[in-house]
Amino acid sequence: MAKKSQPESAGEVVTLRRWITVGLPATDLFALWLEPNTLPRIMSHFATVTPVNKSDALWQIDGPLGKHYSWESRIVEAQPGEIIAWQSLEGADIPNQGELLLRPAPGEWGTELALTLRFTPPGGALGKKVTTFFDLLPKEIVSKALHRFKSLAETGEIPTLDGQPAGRHAERQDKEK
Amino acid sequence: MRALCWNGVNDLSVETVADPGLLNPHDAIIRVILTTTCGSDLHVIDGLIPSMREGDILGHEFMGEVVEVGSAVKHIRRGDRVVVPSFISCGSCWYCQHQLPSCCDNTNPQWEKGETVLGHPTGGIYAYSHAFGGYAGSHAEYVRVPFADNDCFVIPEGVTDEQALFLSDAVPTGYMGADFCNIHPGDTVVVWGCGGVGLMAQQSAWLMGAHQVIGIDRYPERLAMARDYAGSIALDYTQVDINEALLELTGGRGPDSCIDAVGMEARGEGLSQVYDKTKQLLHLETDVGAALRQALYACRKGGNIAILGVYGVMDKFPLGLMINKSLTIRTAQQHGQRYMHRLLEHVAKNELNPAFMATHRFSLEDAPRGYEMFKHKEDGCVRAIFAP
Repeated sequence: MAKKSQPESAGEVVTLRRWITVGLPATDLFALWLEPNTLPRIMSHFATVTPVNKSDALWQIDGPLGKHYSWESRIVEAQPGEIIAWQSLEGADIPNQGELLLRPAPGEWGTELALTLRFTPPGGALGKKVTTFFDLLPKEIVSKALHRFKSLAETGEIPTLDGQPAGRHAERQDKEK
Repeated sequence: MRALCWNGVNDLSVETVADPGLLNPHDAIIRVILTTTCGSDLHVIDGLIPSMREGDILGHEFMGEVVEVGSAVKHIRRGDRVVVPSFISCGSCWYCQHQLPSCCDNTNPQWEKGETVLGHPTGGIYAYSHAFGGYAGSHAEYVRVPFADNDCFVIPEGVTDEQALFLSDAVPTGYMGADFCNIHPGDTVVVWGCGGVGLMAQQSAWLMGAHQVIGIDRYPERLAMARDYAGSIALDYTQVDINEALLELTGGRGPDSCIDAVGMEARGEGLSQVYDKTKQLLHLETDVGAALRQALYACRKGGNIAILGVYGVMDKFPLGLMINKSLTIRTAQQHGQRYMHRLLEHVAKNELNPAFMATHRFSLEDAPRGYEMFKHKEDGCVRAIFAP
Protein backbone atom coordinates (compact mmCIF):
# COMPACT_ATOMS: atom_id res chain seq x y z
CA MET A 1 0.00 0.00 0.00
CA ALA A 2 0.96 3.61 -0.36
CA LYS A 3 3.09 5.10 2.34
CA LYS A 4 1.86 8.14 4.15
CA SER A 5 3.85 10.81 2.41
CA GLN A 6 4.91 11.22 -1.17
CA PRO A 7 7.34 11.47 -2.77
CA GLU A 8 8.68 8.28 -1.25
CA SER A 9 12.42 8.25 -1.13
CA ALA A 10 13.92 4.78 -1.00
CA GLY A 11 17.62 5.39 -0.83
CA GLU A 12 18.31 7.74 -3.69
CA VAL A 13 15.23 6.86 -5.74
CA VAL A 14 12.31 9.29 -5.74
CA THR A 15 9.03 7.51 -6.45
CA LEU A 16 5.87 9.36 -7.41
CA ARG A 17 2.65 7.37 -7.78
CA ARG A 18 -0.98 8.46 -8.27
CA TRP A 19 -4.25 6.87 -9.37
CA ILE A 20 -7.21 7.96 -11.44
CA THR A 21 -10.38 6.40 -12.84
CA VAL A 22 -11.33 7.18 -16.43
CA GLY A 23 -14.71 6.36 -17.97
CA LEU A 24 -13.41 4.50 -21.03
CA PRO A 25 -12.30 0.90 -21.74
CA ALA A 26 -8.67 0.05 -20.99
CA THR A 27 -7.84 -0.71 -24.62
CA ASP A 28 -8.98 2.78 -25.72
CA LEU A 29 -6.87 4.40 -23.02
CA PHE A 30 -3.89 2.24 -23.91
CA ALA A 31 -4.14 3.44 -27.52
CA LEU A 32 -4.62 7.08 -26.54
CA TRP A 33 -1.56 7.03 -24.27
CA LEU A 34 0.58 5.85 -27.18
CA GLU A 35 -0.62 8.48 -29.66
CA PRO A 36 2.30 10.78 -30.48
CA ASN A 37 0.52 13.95 -29.29
CA THR A 38 -0.58 12.61 -25.93
CA LEU A 39 2.58 12.68 -23.79
CA PRO A 40 3.62 16.15 -24.99
CA ARG A 41 0.19 17.47 -23.95
CA ILE A 42 -0.29 15.75 -20.61
CA MET A 43 3.29 16.29 -19.41
CA SER A 44 3.59 19.92 -20.53
CA HIS A 45 3.48 21.28 -16.94
CA PHE A 46 6.60 19.28 -16.19
CA ALA A 47 8.56 18.49 -19.33
CA THR A 48 8.78 19.21 -23.02
CA VAL A 49 8.31 15.79 -24.54
CA THR A 50 9.22 15.27 -28.19
CA PRO A 51 8.40 11.88 -29.73
CA VAL A 52 11.37 10.45 -31.62
CA ASN A 53 9.68 7.33 -32.96
CA LYS A 54 6.95 4.91 -31.86
CA SER A 55 8.82 3.82 -28.75
CA ASP A 56 11.29 6.62 -27.98
CA ALA A 57 10.79 10.20 -26.80
CA LEU A 58 13.03 13.10 -25.75
CA TRP A 59 12.21 14.70 -22.40
CA GLN A 60 13.52 18.15 -21.44
CA ILE A 61 12.88 19.90 -18.14
CA ASP A 62 13.88 23.25 -16.73
CA GLY A 63 15.29 23.08 -13.23
CA PRO A 64 15.96 25.88 -10.77
CA LEU A 65 18.76 28.38 -11.41
CA GLY A 66 18.36 28.11 -15.17
CA LYS A 67 19.53 24.46 -15.26
CA HIS A 68 18.20 22.18 -17.97
CA TYR A 69 17.97 18.40 -17.78
CA SER A 70 17.11 15.97 -20.53
CA TRP A 71 16.89 12.30 -21.34
CA GLU A 72 15.56 9.94 -23.95
CA SER A 73 13.06 7.31 -22.91
CA ARG A 74 12.15 4.01 -24.53
CA ILE A 75 9.03 1.90 -24.07
CA VAL A 76 10.20 -1.46 -22.72
CA GLU A 77 6.86 -3.15 -22.17
CA ALA A 78 3.44 -2.62 -23.72
CA GLN A 79 0.54 -5.02 -23.24
CA PRO A 80 -2.71 -3.66 -24.67
CA GLY A 81 -5.15 -2.71 -21.95
CA GLU A 82 -2.75 -3.67 -19.13
CA ILE A 83 0.61 -1.96 -18.94
CA ILE A 84 2.92 0.52 -20.62
CA ALA A 85 6.42 0.81 -19.12
CA TRP A 86 9.36 2.92 -20.22
CA GLN A 87 12.80 3.83 -19.02
CA SER A 88 15.47 6.39 -19.78
CA LEU A 89 18.37 5.43 -22.01
CA GLU A 90 22.10 5.64 -21.36
CA GLY A 91 23.33 9.19 -20.84
CA ALA A 92 20.20 10.51 -19.13
CA ASP A 93 20.81 13.57 -16.91
CA ILE A 94 18.37 12.03 -14.45
CA PRO A 95 17.90 8.28 -14.93
CA ASN A 96 14.24 7.35 -14.52
CA GLN A 97 11.53 4.80 -15.19
CA GLY A 98 7.81 5.12 -15.69
CA GLU A 99 4.87 2.77 -15.68
CA LEU A 100 1.18 3.06 -16.45
CA LEU A 101 -0.94 0.19 -15.13
CA LEU A 102 -4.52 -0.24 -16.32
CA ARG A 103 -7.24 -2.42 -14.78
CA PRO A 104 -11.02 -2.52 -15.15
CA ALA A 105 -12.97 -0.45 -12.62
CA PRO A 106 -16.22 -1.75 -11.12
CA GLY A 107 -19.64 -0.85 -12.52
CA GLU A 108 -19.78 2.00 -14.99
CA TRP A 109 -16.58 3.63 -13.81
CA GLY A 110 -14.41 2.48 -16.72
CA THR A 111 -10.74 1.87 -16.04
CA GLU A 112 -8.46 2.46 -13.05
CA LEU A 113 -5.03 3.80 -13.92
CA ALA A 114 -1.92 3.89 -11.73
CA LEU A 115 0.97 6.03 -12.95
CA THR A 116 4.38 5.67 -11.36
CA LEU A 117 7.49 7.73 -12.09
CA ARG A 118 10.80 6.76 -10.47
CA PHE A 119 13.79 9.07 -10.65
CA THR A 120 17.32 8.21 -9.63
CA PRO A 121 19.21 11.45 -9.08
CA PRO A 122 22.85 11.03 -10.09
CA GLY A 123 25.54 11.39 -7.42
CA GLY A 124 27.73 14.43 -6.72
CA ALA A 125 26.86 18.10 -6.80
CA LEU A 126 24.36 17.65 -9.63
CA GLY A 127 22.59 14.95 -7.62
CA LYS A 128 22.18 17.25 -4.68
CA LYS A 129 20.66 19.93 -6.85
CA VAL A 130 18.35 17.45 -8.48
CA THR A 131 17.19 16.09 -5.15
CA THR A 132 16.38 19.61 -4.07
CA PHE A 133 14.55 20.05 -7.32
CA PHE A 134 12.32 17.08 -6.62
CA ASP A 135 11.77 18.19 -3.07
CA LEU A 136 10.31 21.27 -4.66
CA LEU A 137 8.16 19.27 -7.04
CA PRO A 138 5.16 17.82 -5.28
CA LYS A 139 3.30 14.67 -6.20
CA GLU A 140 1.15 16.86 -8.45
CA ILE A 141 3.53 16.18 -11.36
CA VAL A 142 1.92 12.78 -11.61
CA SER A 143 -1.65 13.63 -10.61
CA LYS A 144 -1.70 16.55 -13.01
CA ALA A 145 -0.55 14.35 -15.87
CA LEU A 146 -3.26 11.83 -14.99
CA HIS A 147 -5.95 14.49 -14.80
CA ARG A 148 -4.95 15.91 -18.13
CA PHE A 149 -5.00 12.44 -19.62
CA LYS A 150 -8.45 11.75 -18.18
CA SER A 151 -9.87 15.02 -19.53
CA LEU A 152 -8.32 14.39 -22.92
CA ALA A 153 -9.82 10.88 -22.98
CA GLU A 154 -13.27 11.81 -21.70
CA THR A 155 -13.78 15.18 -23.41
CA GLY A 156 -11.15 15.48 -26.14
CA GLU A 157 -9.61 18.55 -24.51
CA ILE A 158 -7.60 19.61 -21.47
CA PRO A 159 -9.09 22.39 -19.32
CA THR A 160 -7.00 25.53 -19.45
CA LEU A 161 -6.83 29.17 -18.44
CA ASP A 162 -3.87 29.97 -20.70
CA GLY A 163 -4.74 33.13 -22.58
CA GLN A 164 -7.78 34.17 -20.58
CA PRO A 165 -8.05 37.85 -19.63
CA ALA A 166 -7.25 39.28 -16.20
CA GLY A 167 -6.36 42.71 -14.87
CA ARG A 168 -2.95 41.98 -13.38
CA HIS A 169 -1.38 45.41 -13.35
CA ALA A 170 1.38 44.52 -10.95
CA GLU A 171 2.78 42.14 -13.51
CA ARG A 172 2.03 44.40 -16.49
CA GLN A 173 0.12 41.69 -18.23
CA ASP A 174 -3.52 41.09 -18.84
CA LYS A 175 -3.57 37.50 -19.96
CA GLU A 176 -2.74 34.29 -18.16
CA LYS A 177 0.48 32.65 -19.23
CA MET B 1 -12.96 45.00 -23.10
CA ARG B 2 -14.01 46.40 -19.73
CA ALA B 3 -14.23 44.08 -16.73
CA LEU B 4 -14.73 44.29 -12.98
CA CYS B 5 -11.53 43.08 -11.33
CA TRP B 6 -10.71 42.01 -7.78
CA ASN B 7 -7.51 43.75 -6.78
CA GLY B 8 -7.39 42.69 -3.16
CA VAL B 9 -9.61 42.53 -0.09
CA ASN B 10 -12.54 44.91 -0.65
CA ASP B 11 -10.73 46.52 -3.57
CA LEU B 12 -12.67 46.38 -6.84
CA SER B 13 -12.20 48.39 -10.00
CA VAL B 14 -13.35 48.33 -13.60
CA GLU B 15 -10.34 47.78 -15.82
CA THR B 16 -9.56 47.48 -19.51
CA VAL B 17 -8.39 43.92 -20.15
CA ALA B 18 -7.90 41.73 -23.22
CA ASP B 19 -10.97 40.23 -24.88
CA PRO B 20 -11.39 36.53 -24.17
CA GLY B 21 -10.71 34.13 -27.02
CA LEU B 22 -11.55 30.51 -27.77
CA LEU B 23 -8.98 28.40 -25.91
CA ASN B 24 -10.44 24.93 -26.39
CA PRO B 25 -12.57 23.35 -29.15
CA HIS B 26 -15.75 23.14 -27.03
CA ASP B 27 -15.58 26.83 -25.95
CA ALA B 28 -17.96 29.62 -26.84
CA ILE B 29 -17.61 33.35 -26.30
CA ILE B 30 -20.68 35.06 -24.86
CA ARG B 31 -21.45 38.75 -25.06
CA VAL B 32 -22.75 39.38 -21.56
CA ILE B 33 -26.20 40.99 -21.56
CA LEU B 34 -26.86 40.81 -17.81
CA THR B 35 -24.71 39.66 -14.90
CA THR B 36 -25.54 39.82 -11.20
CA THR B 37 -24.03 40.07 -7.75
CA CYS B 38 -24.41 36.96 -5.61
CA GLY B 39 -23.98 36.64 -1.86
CA SER B 40 -21.15 34.18 -2.38
CA ASP B 41 -19.17 36.91 -4.20
CA LEU B 42 -18.96 38.73 -0.88
CA HIS B 43 -16.86 35.93 0.59
CA VAL B 44 -14.48 36.31 -2.32
CA ILE B 45 -14.38 40.10 -2.12
CA ASP B 46 -13.88 40.04 1.66
CA GLY B 47 -10.95 37.66 1.31
CA LEU B 48 -12.61 34.73 3.09
CA ILE B 49 -12.02 32.43 0.11
CA PRO B 50 -8.32 31.73 -0.31
CA SER B 51 -6.57 31.43 -3.67
CA MET B 52 -7.94 34.55 -5.37
CA ARG B 53 -5.37 36.39 -7.48
CA GLU B 54 -5.07 40.11 -7.95
CA GLY B 55 -6.76 41.06 -11.19
CA ASP B 56 -9.23 38.16 -11.32
CA ILE B 57 -12.42 39.15 -13.14
CA LEU B 58 -15.47 38.68 -10.88
CA GLY B 59 -18.98 37.40 -11.59
CA HIS B 60 -20.50 33.94 -12.02
CA GLU B 61 -24.24 34.46 -12.60
CA PHE B 62 -25.02 35.69 -16.10
CA MET B 63 -26.82 35.43 -19.43
CA GLY B 64 -25.95 36.74 -22.85
CA GLU B 65 -25.62 36.20 -26.57
CA VAL B 66 -23.29 33.72 -28.24
CA VAL B 67 -20.83 35.55 -30.49
CA GLU B 68 -18.27 32.86 -31.29
CA VAL B 69 -18.11 29.06 -31.02
CA GLY B 70 -15.22 26.59 -31.09
CA SER B 71 -14.68 23.92 -33.73
CA ALA B 72 -16.21 21.11 -31.62
CA VAL B 73 -19.39 23.00 -30.66
CA LYS B 74 -22.29 21.34 -32.52
CA HIS B 75 -25.60 22.67 -31.17
CA ILE B 76 -25.06 26.17 -29.83
CA ARG B 77 -24.83 28.85 -32.53
CA ARG B 78 -23.83 32.46 -32.93
CA GLY B 79 -26.76 34.68 -32.03
CA ASP B 80 -28.32 32.26 -29.52
CA ARG B 81 -29.57 33.99 -26.37
CA VAL B 82 -28.39 31.72 -23.57
CA VAL B 83 -28.18 31.32 -19.82
CA VAL B 84 -25.16 29.53 -18.36
CA PRO B 85 -24.96 27.77 -14.96
CA SER B 86 -22.21 29.11 -12.73
CA PHE B 87 -20.56 25.68 -12.36
CA ILE B 88 -18.84 24.43 -15.49
CA SER B 89 -19.62 20.86 -16.45
CA CYS B 90 -18.16 18.73 -19.26
CA GLY B 91 -21.21 16.52 -19.72
CA SER B 92 -19.05 13.42 -20.26
CA CYS B 93 -17.54 12.32 -16.95
CA TRP B 94 -19.18 9.95 -14.45
CA TYR B 95 -20.43 12.84 -12.32
CA CYS B 96 -22.00 14.72 -15.23
CA GLN B 97 -23.55 11.47 -16.44
CA HIS B 98 -25.01 10.91 -12.97
CA GLN B 99 -26.67 14.31 -12.58
CA LEU B 100 -23.94 15.79 -10.40
CA PRO B 101 -22.58 18.45 -12.76
CA SER B 102 -21.02 20.69 -10.09
CA CYS B 103 -18.83 17.69 -9.18
CA CYS B 104 -17.49 17.51 -12.76
CA ASP B 105 -14.06 15.88 -13.02
CA ASN B 106 -12.90 17.65 -16.17
CA THR B 107 -13.44 21.39 -15.77
CA ASN B 108 -11.05 22.43 -13.01
CA PRO B 109 -7.72 23.31 -14.64
CA GLN B 110 -6.13 23.84 -11.23
CA TRP B 111 -7.19 20.48 -9.95
CA GLU B 112 -4.35 20.24 -7.46
CA LYS B 113 -5.45 23.39 -5.61
CA GLY B 114 -8.95 22.07 -5.13
CA GLU B 115 -7.58 18.69 -4.10
CA THR B 116 -5.51 20.28 -1.36
CA VAL B 117 -8.58 21.92 0.17
CA LEU B 118 -11.28 19.31 -0.46
CA GLY B 119 -9.60 15.94 -1.04
CA HIS B 120 -11.50 15.71 -4.31
CA PRO B 121 -12.11 19.01 -6.05
CA THR B 122 -15.32 20.37 -7.57
CA GLY B 123 -15.79 21.26 -11.19
CA GLY B 124 -14.67 24.69 -12.27
CA ILE B 125 -16.73 27.77 -11.50
CA TYR B 126 -16.47 31.24 -12.96
CA ALA B 127 -14.64 33.75 -10.76
CA TYR B 128 -14.65 31.82 -7.54
CA SER B 129 -10.93 31.59 -6.73
CA HIS B 130 -8.26 29.38 -8.20
CA ALA B 131 -9.07 26.37 -6.01
CA PHE B 132 -12.39 26.34 -7.89
CA GLY B 133 -10.78 26.58 -11.31
CA GLY B 134 -9.74 30.22 -11.64
CA TYR B 135 -11.96 30.95 -14.65
CA ALA B 136 -12.42 34.61 -15.60
CA GLY B 137 -15.85 35.85 -14.56
CA SER B 138 -18.88 37.41 -16.19
CA HIS B 139 -18.74 40.98 -14.90
CA ALA B 140 -17.27 41.91 -18.26
CA GLU B 141 -18.37 42.62 -21.79
CA TYR B 142 -17.48 39.09 -22.88
CA VAL B 143 -16.90 35.79 -21.13
CA ARG B 144 -15.50 32.49 -22.34
CA VAL B 145 -17.77 29.49 -21.67
CA PRO B 146 -16.16 26.01 -21.90
CA PHE B 147 -18.27 23.03 -23.05
CA ALA B 148 -20.80 25.33 -24.66
CA ASP B 149 -23.11 22.56 -25.88
CA ASN B 150 -23.48 21.25 -22.35
CA ASP B 151 -23.51 24.54 -20.45
CA CYS B 152 -25.31 27.07 -22.67
CA PHE B 153 -29.10 26.82 -22.51
CA VAL B 154 -31.07 28.63 -25.18
CA ILE B 155 -33.65 30.95 -23.62
CA PRO B 156 -37.12 30.57 -25.15
CA GLU B 157 -38.94 33.63 -26.43
CA GLY B 158 -41.23 34.89 -23.73
CA VAL B 159 -38.62 34.49 -21.01
CA THR B 160 -37.05 37.89 -20.38
CA ASP B 161 -33.36 38.63 -19.88
CA GLU B 162 -33.93 39.41 -16.20
CA GLN B 163 -35.88 36.19 -15.60
CA ALA B 164 -33.24 34.13 -17.38
CA LEU B 165 -30.36 35.81 -15.54
CA PHE B 166 -31.20 34.22 -12.21
CA LEU B 167 -31.53 30.76 -13.78
CA SER B 168 -27.75 30.86 -13.86
CA ASP B 169 -27.42 30.32 -10.12
CA ALA B 170 -30.03 31.63 -7.65
CA VAL B 171 -32.98 29.70 -9.10
CA PRO B 172 -31.31 26.31 -9.57
CA THR B 173 -29.68 26.57 -6.14
CA GLY B 174 -32.99 27.32 -4.43
CA TYR B 175 -34.86 24.76 -6.50
CA MET B 176 -32.27 22.11 -5.68
CA GLY B 177 -32.71 22.87 -1.97
CA ALA B 178 -36.45 22.28 -2.23
CA ASP B 179 -35.79 19.15 -4.29
CA PHE B 180 -33.51 17.87 -1.49
CA CYS B 181 -36.46 18.20 0.93
CA ASN B 182 -38.41 15.43 -0.82
CA ILE B 183 -41.60 17.39 -0.18
CA HIS B 184 -44.86 15.53 0.51
CA PRO B 185 -48.40 16.94 0.79
CA GLY B 186 -48.86 18.50 4.21
CA ASP B 187 -45.18 19.37 4.64
CA THR B 188 -43.94 22.53 6.26
CA VAL B 189 -40.73 23.86 4.71
CA VAL B 190 -38.73 26.56 6.49
CA VAL B 191 -36.09 28.58 4.68
CA TRP B 192 -33.45 30.46 6.64
CA GLY B 193 -32.48 33.47 4.52
CA CYS B 194 -34.65 35.54 2.18
CA GLY B 195 -31.92 36.57 -0.25
CA GLY B 196 -32.03 35.45 -3.86
CA VAL B 197 -31.45 31.75 -3.17
CA GLY B 198 -33.78 31.65 -0.15
CA LEU B 199 -36.62 33.34 -2.03
CA MET B 200 -36.23 30.92 -4.93
CA ALA B 201 -36.19 27.97 -2.51
CA GLN B 202 -39.50 29.25 -1.12
CA GLN B 203 -41.13 29.60 -4.54
CA SER B 204 -39.83 26.13 -5.44
CA ALA B 205 -41.12 24.54 -2.22
CA TRP B 206 -44.65 25.72 -3.07
CA LEU B 207 -44.25 24.42 -6.60
CA MET B 208 -43.29 20.99 -5.23
CA GLY B 209 -46.45 20.81 -3.15
CA ALA B 210 -45.58 22.14 0.30
CA HIS B 211 -48.53 22.79 2.61
CA GLN B 212 -46.81 25.70 4.32
CA VAL B 213 -43.63 27.67 3.55
CA ILE B 214 -41.91 29.93 6.06
CA GLY B 215 -39.09 32.40 5.35
CA ILE B 216 -36.76 33.75 8.04
CA ASP B 217 -34.66 36.91 7.79
CA ARG B 218 -34.19 40.23 9.58
CA TYR B 219 -34.45 42.73 6.73
CA PRO B 220 -38.00 44.08 6.36
CA GLU B 221 -37.80 44.43 2.57
CA ARG B 222 -36.65 40.84 2.17
CA LEU B 223 -39.37 39.60 4.50
CA ALA B 224 -41.86 41.59 2.44
CA MET B 225 -40.59 39.85 -0.71
CA ALA B 226 -40.99 36.45 0.97
CA ARG B 227 -44.60 37.38 1.69
CA ASP B 228 -45.42 39.13 -1.57
CA TYR B 229 -43.48 37.15 -4.17
CA ALA B 230 -43.16 33.74 -2.55
CA GLY B 231 -46.41 33.69 -0.60
CA SER B 232 -44.53 32.58 2.52
CA ILE B 233 -45.10 33.27 6.20
CA ALA B 234 -42.27 35.70 6.95
CA LEU B 235 -40.57 35.64 10.34
CA ASP B 236 -38.15 38.31 11.59
CA TYR B 237 -35.71 36.54 13.88
CA THR B 238 -34.85 39.77 15.68
CA GLN B 239 -38.49 40.12 16.70
CA VAL B 240 -39.72 36.56 17.07
CA ASP B 241 -38.49 33.53 19.02
CA ILE B 242 -38.02 31.34 15.96
CA ASN B 243 -38.20 27.99 17.70
CA GLU B 244 -41.43 28.94 19.50
CA ALA B 245 -42.96 30.27 16.30
CA LEU B 246 -42.11 27.11 14.36
CA LEU B 247 -43.57 24.92 17.10
CA GLU B 248 -46.75 26.95 17.01
CA LEU B 249 -47.00 26.77 13.22
CA THR B 250 -46.51 22.99 13.18
CA GLY B 251 -48.57 21.85 16.16
CA GLY B 252 -45.42 21.22 18.16
CA ARG B 253 -43.92 18.77 15.64
CA GLY B 254 -41.36 21.08 14.11
CA PRO B 255 -40.95 21.66 10.39
CA ASP B 256 -40.60 18.63 8.09
CA SER B 257 -37.78 20.26 6.16
CA CYS B 258 -35.37 23.10 6.78
CA ILE B 259 -33.29 24.87 4.17
CA ASP B 260 -30.18 26.86 5.11
CA ALA B 261 -29.88 29.58 2.48
CA VAL B 262 -27.60 31.74 4.59
CA GLY B 263 -24.29 30.00 5.16
CA MET B 264 -21.39 31.48 6.98
CA GLU B 265 -22.86 34.96 7.21
CA ALA B 266 -25.54 33.75 9.61
CA ARG B 267 -25.70 36.12 12.52
CA GLY B 268 -26.35 34.73 15.92
CA GLU B 269 -27.29 36.77 18.91
CA GLY B 270 -25.23 37.63 21.96
CA LEU B 271 -21.90 36.18 22.98
CA SER B 272 -21.77 33.28 20.54
CA GLN B 273 -22.03 35.84 17.75
CA VAL B 274 -19.03 37.77 19.08
CA TYR B 275 -17.08 34.54 19.50
CA ASP B 276 -17.84 33.36 15.98
CA LYS B 277 -17.18 36.72 14.39
CA THR B 278 -13.82 37.01 16.15
CA LYS B 279 -12.79 33.59 14.98
CA GLN B 280 -13.89 34.43 11.47
CA LEU B 281 -11.82 37.60 11.44
CA LEU B 282 -8.80 35.76 12.80
CA HIS B 283 -9.31 33.00 10.19
CA LEU B 284 -9.53 30.50 13.03
CA GLU B 285 -12.83 29.44 11.64
CA THR B 286 -14.42 30.78 8.51
CA ASP B 287 -17.93 29.90 9.59
CA VAL B 288 -20.59 31.38 11.75
CA GLY B 289 -23.42 28.98 11.16
CA ALA B 290 -26.14 30.21 13.54
CA ALA B 291 -28.85 29.50 10.97
CA LEU B 292 -27.79 25.90 10.48
CA ARG B 293 -27.62 25.27 14.22
CA GLN B 294 -31.11 26.71 14.66
CA ALA B 295 -32.44 24.62 11.77
CA LEU B 296 -31.05 21.37 13.20
CA TYR B 297 -32.69 22.18 16.54
CA ALA B 298 -36.08 23.18 15.11
CA CYS B 299 -36.45 20.39 12.54
CA ARG B 300 -38.85 17.55 13.36
CA LYS B 301 -37.46 14.07 13.98
CA GLY B 302 -36.77 12.24 10.74
CA GLY B 303 -36.87 15.54 8.85
CA ASN B 304 -34.70 16.89 6.07
CA ILE B 305 -32.03 19.56 6.18
CA ALA B 306 -30.84 21.10 2.92
CA ILE B 307 -27.68 23.18 3.16
CA LEU B 308 -27.27 25.70 0.33
CA GLY B 309 -25.29 28.39 2.15
CA VAL B 310 -21.57 28.58 1.61
CA TYR B 311 -19.34 27.25 4.37
CA GLY B 312 -15.64 26.97 5.02
CA VAL B 313 -14.26 24.05 6.93
CA MET B 314 -16.39 24.10 10.06
CA ASP B 315 -14.64 22.95 13.21
CA LYS B 316 -17.71 22.49 15.37
CA PHE B 317 -20.97 20.97 14.28
CA PRO B 318 -23.86 19.71 16.42
CA LEU B 319 -23.66 16.18 15.11
CA GLY B 320 -25.64 14.77 18.04
CA LEU B 321 -28.76 16.55 16.83
CA MET B 322 -28.54 14.84 13.47
CA ILE B 323 -27.99 11.40 14.93
CA ASN B 324 -30.52 11.48 17.72
CA LYS B 325 -33.25 13.02 15.57
CA SER B 326 -32.67 10.81 12.50
CA LEU B 327 -32.16 13.86 10.33
CA THR B 328 -31.25 13.57 6.67
CA ILE B 329 -28.83 16.20 5.46
CA ARG B 330 -28.46 16.88 1.77
CA THR B 331 -26.24 19.50 0.28
CA ALA B 332 -24.40 20.41 -2.91
CA GLN B 333 -23.07 23.21 -4.96
CA GLN B 334 -25.76 23.90 -7.49
CA HIS B 335 -26.39 21.27 -10.15
CA GLY B 336 -27.81 23.80 -12.59
CA GLN B 337 -27.48 21.64 -15.70
CA ARG B 338 -29.65 18.97 -14.02
CA TYR B 339 -32.59 21.33 -13.58
CA MET B 340 -32.28 23.92 -16.34
CA HIS B 341 -34.80 22.57 -18.86
CA ARG B 342 -37.41 22.18 -16.12
CA LEU B 343 -36.68 25.66 -14.77
CA LEU B 344 -37.01 27.33 -18.16
CA GLU B 345 -40.43 25.67 -18.48
CA HIS B 346 -41.51 26.82 -15.02
CA VAL B 347 -40.46 30.38 -15.80
CA ALA B 348 -42.12 30.34 -19.23
CA LYS B 349 -45.36 29.23 -17.52
CA ASN B 350 -44.92 31.87 -14.81
CA GLU B 351 -44.77 29.18 -12.12
CA LEU B 352 -41.44 30.60 -11.00
CA ASN B 353 -40.70 34.27 -11.34
CA PRO B 354 -37.28 35.43 -10.27
CA ALA B 355 -37.16 38.81 -12.06
CA PHE B 356 -38.38 40.77 -9.01
CA MET B 357 -35.02 40.15 -7.33
CA ALA B 358 -33.31 42.57 -9.73
CA THR B 359 -33.89 45.51 -7.40
CA HIS B 360 -31.02 47.67 -8.64
CA ARG B 361 -29.56 48.01 -12.13
CA PHE B 362 -26.15 49.48 -12.98
CA SER B 363 -23.83 49.82 -15.94
CA LEU B 364 -20.65 47.76 -15.69
CA GLU B 365 -18.71 50.96 -14.99
CA ASP B 366 -20.72 51.43 -11.81
CA ALA B 367 -20.32 47.83 -10.64
CA PRO B 368 -18.15 48.71 -7.59
CA ARG B 369 -20.97 50.95 -6.38
CA GLY B 370 -23.43 48.14 -7.06
CA TYR B 371 -21.43 45.80 -4.84
CA GLU B 372 -21.35 48.41 -2.08
CA MET B 373 -25.13 48.69 -2.15
CA PHE B 374 -25.56 44.94 -2.33
CA LYS B 375 -23.13 44.25 0.49
CA HIS B 376 -24.71 46.74 2.86
CA LYS B 377 -28.22 46.00 1.62
CA GLU B 378 -28.72 49.72 1.04
CA ASP B 379 -32.09 50.83 -0.26
CA GLY B 380 -33.47 47.30 0.06
CA CYS B 381 -30.99 45.91 -2.45
CA VAL B 382 -31.58 42.18 -2.99
CA ARG B 383 -29.55 41.85 -6.19
CA ALA B 384 -27.58 44.48 -8.08
CA ILE B 385 -27.46 43.55 -11.75
CA PHE B 386 -25.05 44.93 -14.31
CA ALA B 387 -25.63 45.50 -18.02
CA PRO B 388 -22.18 45.64 -19.67
